[in-house]
Amino acid sequence: MLRAGDLEMDLIRRRVTRAGQEIDLLPREFALLEHLLRHKGRVQTRTMLLEAVWDISFDPQTNVVETHVSRLRAKVDKPFDRDLIKTVRGAGYMIEA
Amino acid sequence: MGVARLWSSTPVRLSLALVALFAVMSFASLTATYFIIRQPLEQNLRDTLNQEMAGFGAVPSATALAALVRSQSEVTEPQKRIISYRLPGGLVVGNAAILADHEGYRAVSLTPGGGDIQGEFFTLTKVLHGGLMTIAISAEPVAQLRRIFTRVFLFSLFPTTLVALGGALLLARRAQRRFDRLERALNRLAQGEFGARVGPIGGVRDDLSRIAERVDAMADELESKVAALRQVSADIAHDLKTPVQRLSVQLERLAATPGLPAPAIELAERARAESEAMIRTFHALLQIAQIEGGQPRARFARVDLASLAATFCEVYEPSAEETGHRLIAAPSPVPSPVPVQGDKDLLGQLFANLIENALRHTPAGTEIRVETGLDAEGPFLSVSDTGPGIPEAEREAVFRRLYRLESSRTTPGSGLGLSLVRAIADLHDARIELSDNRPGLKVVIRFPPPPPAA
Repeated sequence: MLRAGDLEMDLIRRRVTRAGQEIDLLPREFALLEHLLRHKGRVQTRTMLLEAVWDISFDPQTNVVETHVSRLRAKVDKPFDRDLIKTVRGAGYMIEA
Repeated sequence: MGVARLWSSTPVRLSLALVALFAVMSFASLTATYFIIRQPLEQNLRDTLNQEMAGFGAVPSATALAALVRSQSEVTEPQKRIISYRLPGGLVVGNAAILADHEGYRAVSLTPGGGDIQGEFFTLTKVLHGGLMTIAISAEPVAQLRRIFTRVFLFSLFPTTLVALGGALLLARRAQRRFDRLERALNRLAQGEFGARVGPIGGVRDDLSRIAERVDAMADELESKVAALRQVSADIAHDLKTPVQRLSVQLERLAATPGLPAPAIELAERARAESEAMIRTFHALLQIAQIEGGQPRARFARVDLASLAATFCEVYEPSAEETGHRLIAAPSPVPSPVPVQGDKDLLGQLFANLIENALRHTPAGTEIRVETGLDAEGPFLSVSDTGPGIPEAEREAVFRRLYRLESSRTTPGSGLGLSLVRAIADLHDARIELSDNRPGLKVVIRFPPPPPAA
């Protein structure tokens, strides 16, 4: 069980809830959120996320990672009043401890 | 070796010219010999004619001469000797076929159609007692000489010419093999394969082997110069990358300074975006330099193109959706593995560059198809779109560093994406084919088959 604020991730049943409300995530979205939760309080760069979630290492010229994060945010943060996933400008993303 | 190539090779041409010269010289000397031998033979015939004419000249009158000619004509064999006399009154005795209107020597050829006598004759005509006396004797000895020389020509010159020709071609082929080695090495050098060398070309040490040595020395020099140039450009890119990176961070801090007016923030942001683009260009240049150095080959392993393609389609799917493109992975849903020997990260970069290229240079609504497979030619991957495509004349140029199509000057990009694709493909000994997708561009990259799995 991973936690951040009012968000809970059940790794065994592969379920995510926030404020008691269940959030439906695709497998990659789940993996992305899991990685951010496991490294709570540490900035994760785009390269690190690509390696951890997709097991690929390359140099994207476009905002591939941003689009995935914004999809995840739409499900995890948008319906709630406090944003969990923070953008660290010029570096990457993190979930605050 | 094709006939056209054979014809254009210097050794073959030289040997053919030599054979031709030999044939002409032999022919000329044979002809000269023939005329030298013929000369006394002909003189002999003339002497005989003169003697005979002197005999007939001793006859006292025209009527007596006519009688003599008539009686002699009946007894002499016409194949060997023919005589005729035209009396001053116009009456002809003897054989009229050899009649002439004036004095002198002639050579006549009597054809079977002209009477019962045939063959070649020498004739002498002289005015005797007001009439024209003509004596002809067979020129058979001369004709025989000609036949002998024709036979000598056919039986000696022809075979010797053929043998000389065969020998020349054989020698030419040996020389050609050495020329071919030289040509192959030069071709590879011309294509930018600076490691290509002629090496020992065999045979004795001659002008050709010296040229081969000089070519190799030149290639050594060229290779080290190009390597030095590459090192310098990589060093420049590397040295400039760090300050530009610092610049980018400072601009970012500037933009985040509290109390800054909105236009100033906007300006700082734009400057930061520019510096980011510069960093990306330097990064791509460095990456190309590193790949062309060939070191990544040490990290080669078995890579499945199909699963890599599926992963990249998934990674780029939201970006494609954002720009209104349709990104399709084919075949789907479960592709069979397409194994190649290579560097997974670089092959991933190759997919990324091709997909980003398609996203960047095609309008919204374009379909982008990423395909992998195995066919008779081996493993391949392809990225095709239904966009505006690349004019055929520019298809080779797009792989050049920093090259941009006229139509895409205004879109962002470094002009290095496809250069990187080419560098990665070259590293994998893969072949890039650009073709018309009717409409759009189709990029196919064909890999050599991987070694059998251990």
